[in-house]
Amino acid sequence: MTHRVLAVLAALLGVLAVFAGTPYPAKLDVRALAAEIAAEDDHVTAIELAQWIRDRKAGLRIFDLRSAEEFGEYHVPTAKRAALEELVSMRFTPADTIVLISDGGAHAAQAWVLLRASGTPHVYFLRGGLGEWLDDVMNPVGASSDVAALSRYFGGLPRSGTPSAKTTNTVREMKRRGC
Amino acid sequence: MSDSLLIALAIGVAFGFALERAGLGSARKLAGQFYLTDLTVFKVMFSAIVTAMLGAFWLARLGIVDLSRVYVPETWLVPQLVGGLVFGAGFVIAGLCPGTSCVAAAAGRVDGVAVVGGMFAGVLVTGFLFPSLQSLYDTTGRGAQTLPQLLHVSYGVVVCAVVAMALAGFRAAEWLENRT
Amino acid sequence: MKERPYADPYLAGVALGLVLLASFAIAGRGLGASGAFAATAAGLTNAVAPARAAANPLWSRYLAGGGPWREWLLFELAGVVIGGFVSALLAGRSRRTIERGPRMSGRARIACAAGGGMLMGFGAILARGCTSGLALTGGALLAVGSWLFIGAAFFAAYLFAPLLRRAWR
Repeated sequence: MTHRVLAVLAALLGVLAVFAGTPYPAKLDVRALAAEIAAEDDHVTAIELAQWIRDRKAGLRIFDLRSAEEFGEYHVPTAKRAALEELVSMRFTPADTIVLISDGGAHAAQAWVLLRASGTPHVYFLRGGLGEWLDDVMNPVGASSDVAALSRYFGGLPRSGTPSAKTTNTVREMKRRGC
Repeated sequence: MSDSLLIALAIGVAFGFALERAGLGSARKLAGQFYLTDLTVFKVMFSAIVTAMLGAFWLARLGIVDLSRVYVPETWLVPQLVGGLVFGAGFVIAGLCPGTSCVAAAAGRVDGVAVVGGMFAGVLVTGFLFPSLQSLYDTTGRGAQTLPQLLHVSYGVVVCAVVAMALAGFRAAEWLENRT
Repeated sequence: MKERPYADPYLAGVALGLVLLASFAIAGRGLGASGAFAATAAGLTNAVAPARAAANPLWSRYLAGGGPWREWLLFELAGVVIGGFVSALLAGRSRRTIERGPRMSGRARIACAAGGGMLMGFGAILARGCTSGLALTGGALLAVGSWLFIGAAFFAAYLFAPLLRRAWR
């Protein structure tokens, strides 16, 4: 009788083990992540992001890490606000493509490391942050016709000229110009 | 005496006690395994392996034990194959293995003492012959390689397979023993 | 003294497995036996001929750290002796005797025991372990070489068993 109980218990624990996942603690595979960063697979440009939004890329989820105030003033269309702590508790699937945005990109880059370390597969950050979006999408200077069309799609104001020393547009300036 | 050595002693006492209770301090009982009359060795060994394997897997999965910090015996393919063959031959001749020979000796079995002595002599001789054995000794090392890594399957799948194999083996063992 | 029967093999195995598991959890390592023999051999060689011991790659490993006499396995095996002794005593199985097959003389049995022991000593050094360290510990941790060792050892034992019928049956 005891034998039967032990056998059933062992069989149960054995079968469950198949579905239980790895017994090893989650470890930061630093080398793999470093390789991704070096290969520049970790970020997207503002133009790429704009194309993804316009083309309604499946599974695209954009998270803005700035404050509620800043977010309320202006945010990238279809972006959702999320504090870093919230973000790392979220469960994502391989179908999601996550893009992270912060002011200058540093905060978003940190969030990238955290999400990748916990195993989230398709994560990118906007390297130049919101500033890059404002510069390259909303107020591009001397852009090609494609980029100009993209800009207008988002209500931006493309200007002709030579894209010289980057003037990082601020939201305030953009609002002053009207959009 | 340091903590870790005290723990080693305590663990050893439990180990020796369990071995003797199972009857593995008896050479005749152990030898019965190889004539398929008394499969105690198989039953004890694989019950122990399954228990410890399932325990380690689940404690690790639940975060209670860090499996990556438990020392896994290294894999040396050719030395362990050759060593295993020689060891097995010695086992059936002696009727006791290193651990059980100590249990037998502790229970007063003179043959157990003889196995201990023989083992010690064998180890010494191997040590003296080591220079000529070194190339064989150092070949085909694979580090702490596990079956899941080798077979490219999940840990849990191997665990399940081992359990299945053991349970089937126990069934077969009961049948074999009841035949004779 | 009336001899107590042996424990149920499955239950004894589970108990053994729990001891092994406790070892994993508390000491971060499993069981062993042959390593204690190697450590003792290293220690004795060192006492008699220190230069030789240091020059030997096998012994020198045990001379590092706290030295061979503070080897974890040595203390563990000492415990095995104590545990085995206590269990046998309590079960009424403690007696000075030569356990042998019905058709074998005591002398022949001792010779086989010693000879088999020597082979196991050689095999265990080569394989870096024995049934305790590889089969039980490595087996439970799914180590490739340990399972290979189990297979090879059982294979060889079954292969030679017919030749030793006279010894055991």
